[in-house]
Amino acid sequence: MKIEIKELKKSFGEKQVLKGITFESESGKAVGLLGRNGAGKTTSIRIIMGVFFQDSGEILVDGKKIERDKIRIGYLPEERGLYPKQKIGEQLVYFGKLRGLSKQQAREASAKWLDRMGMTEYKDKKLDTLSKGNQQKIQLAATLLCDPELVILDEPFSGLDPVNAMLLKEVITESIEGGAAAILSSHQMNYIEEFCTDINILNSGQISVSGKINDIKRSYPRDTINIFSQKPEEMTDFIKSKFSDGIQSADIDGKNGCVSVKLSSAKRKDELLSLLLSNKYEFDGFIVKEPSLNDIFVQYTEGGV
Amino acid sequence: MKKFFTILGFEYLTCIRNKAFIIITAFLVCASLLFAFLPEVITSLTSEDEQQIDDKPPAIALKKSVYDDELLKSSFSAAFPGYEIVISDDERKEIESKVDDGTYTFAVDITAPNAFTYITKNQTLYNSDQQYITEIIKHMFEKTELEKQGVSPEKTDEILGMSYFSELVTTGADITKNYFPVYIIMIVLFMAIATYGNMVQQSVVSEKNTRAMELLITCAKPSELMFGKVFGSGLAGLTQLGLIFLSLGCSMQYAPADAIPEELKEYINFPPETLALALVFFILGYFIYAFLLGALASFASKTEDLSGLTTPVIFLLTGIYMAVVFLCSGDMIDSTAMTVLSYIPLSAPMAMFVRAILIDVPVWELIVSIALQIVTVILFGALASAIYKIGVLMYGNPPKPAQIIKMLGKK
Repeated sequence: MKIEIKELKKSFGEKQVLKGITFESESGKAVGLLGRNGAGKTTSIRIIMGVFFQDSGEILVDGKKIERDKIRIGYLPEERGLYPKQKIGEQLVYFGKLRGLSKQQAREASAKWLDRMGMTEYKDKKLDTLSKGNQQKIQLAATLLCDPELVILDEPFSGLDPVNAMLLKEVITESIEGGAAAILSSHQMNYIEEFCTDINILNSGQISVSGKINDIKRSYPRDTINIFSQKPEEMTDFIKSKFSDGIQSADIDGKNGCVSVKLSSAKRKDELLSLLLSNKYEFDGFIVKEPSLNDIFVQYTEGGV
Repeated sequence: MKKFFTILGFEYLTCIRNKAFIIITAFLVCASLLFAFLPEVITSLTSEDEQQIDDKPPAIALKKSVYDDELLKSSFSAAFPGYEIVISDDERKEIESKVDDGTYTFAVDITAPNAFTYITKNQTLYNSDQQYITEIIKHMFEKTELEKQGVSPEKTDEILGMSYFSELVTTGADITKNYFPVYIIMIVLFMAIATYGNMVQQSVVSEKNTRAMELLITCAKPSELMFGKVFGSGLAGLTQLGLIFLSLGCSMQYAPADAIPEELKEYINFPPETLALALVFFILGYFIYAFLLGALASFASKTEDLSGLTTPVIFLLTGIYMAVVFLCSGDMIDSTAMTVLSYIPLSAPMAMFVRAILIDVPVWELIVSIALQIVTVILFGALASAIYKIGVLMYGNPPKPAQIIKMLGKK
């Protein structure tokens, strides 16, 4: 299955929230939607889910206009919500049936997901008797109950402790490996980097950068080298004295203890490596530094474009 | 359609499992089952109380008057069986103090052949002693006057004791016959529409408050959600009403023959056609108001917002109820106002029901009124579904009517 979002535009009153959003996802692939608060992530997701309609643009599934009734969608809204006063097992069956499962299928899926989440013992308990973390697990079970072909998760990691985040990672990975197409929105870059091959960074209602994470990273100038050495101070002094014409700066990175060298040109990294090797200088690693997703996010959402 | 039934079933079960619903139903069912035995219980409790207080029969004092003491005494004994009739020579003040301390239940001071003073400690709403006494004094006066004119006592008794017979022929409907059953059903109708409509609005606002609405709106169409909700709550309401009426029926069926006084039986003797019509108008009225309340509840973010949004509708319903009661009791059931009310879909469930039962309403009028209500139900249902969808993500202050219209137009 391939879902294509093309040129979505949406205004609320005078304010144009989406100014032509285009991205796609397909079976076995997860796409990340990144952006600051108010960038248009949730609006895009709600339009895909049919909560409200776009002013223009289209959503295609396998080249045809989306028919939400005909595809199994697992949706985790940003604002979590189930029935606090209902028994957990019963409301899972209810949501399963609303997602198109038969009563028997919904019961089986409910039992399966409660087991997977380690929540079987709470089947007959009311939702509001559970802790917030456990309620999140039930919400996730409700999302994946229908064995979705399309998984849409809006800020899935928000409010999760590390153990529950791990569980969430596992089940989403299983779902994607099982052939689901996924669209994730999150502020937590590390999770996006783990799941998604492609990202789209939204800034003020438009996509400011999109593509494969690796390609985006490689598109940055590869002119910063991290050199790992047992004697970083000596290494810094050596580079500054012997290679001063080839660098813009050489400093010790306080975080990981390496020497971070900013070259005057990416082409001169071979020269630096040769210099270190010819002087038989001891070092443990010589790595071209790539920007983190966080760096890219900050750059593209703070007026960098 | 499958999802509609899923939502209906879920809503129905949610309603009938609600603790408050169960407690109220159980209480009303018990009260209905005991209903037939209630008069007997009250009577036995009252008579026991009276016996415990005093073993002597209650007494009535008659101040000495222009009339013959024995004749007066026998007339009062016949009108007030079980009372001791005392002819008193006491002063008026003394008699009053004895009424006050309970020596006499009441006293009568006949101040002239055609005038008397009725002395009682407390005058209650339903006390008709004064009327009975007026009849006695009138009888005494007429008898005395006739005898003064030379008519023999036998002839006087024959004239004054004459029985009169009358027969009523109505060319239309006899309002008095059905008034009380209809009045009782109308109270039930009003309360049921308001109560079960309230269940719908509570259900909508709780889904919004718990944020389950966003998930629901992506699982099913707004019309399926709104109609499923309204049908589910309505079915729960019918279950409750069914149980109450069934209990009432059983109670009357199996109660001892003389347990319920004949007058009371007349009040609660609901003919099947009255009940059938009540059911039709309950369903229509419930749908109209449930959709209206459900739509308005979609704009509330939390339960506290509800009263501001839905109180005008409840006021409207109460106003209609009071207008219908006023027009009926004020002998204006066949008035233009009542006819108009029986066509307006918001008031028709009560107004047309009352008219159809109490007076002869042409069948076409009934059909037109019901048809208008069905159309309104469909329109309100569609409107409520649209509002439900636009209200789903609306949090904060409820919108103004103009904003709602604008949003609906945009949709």
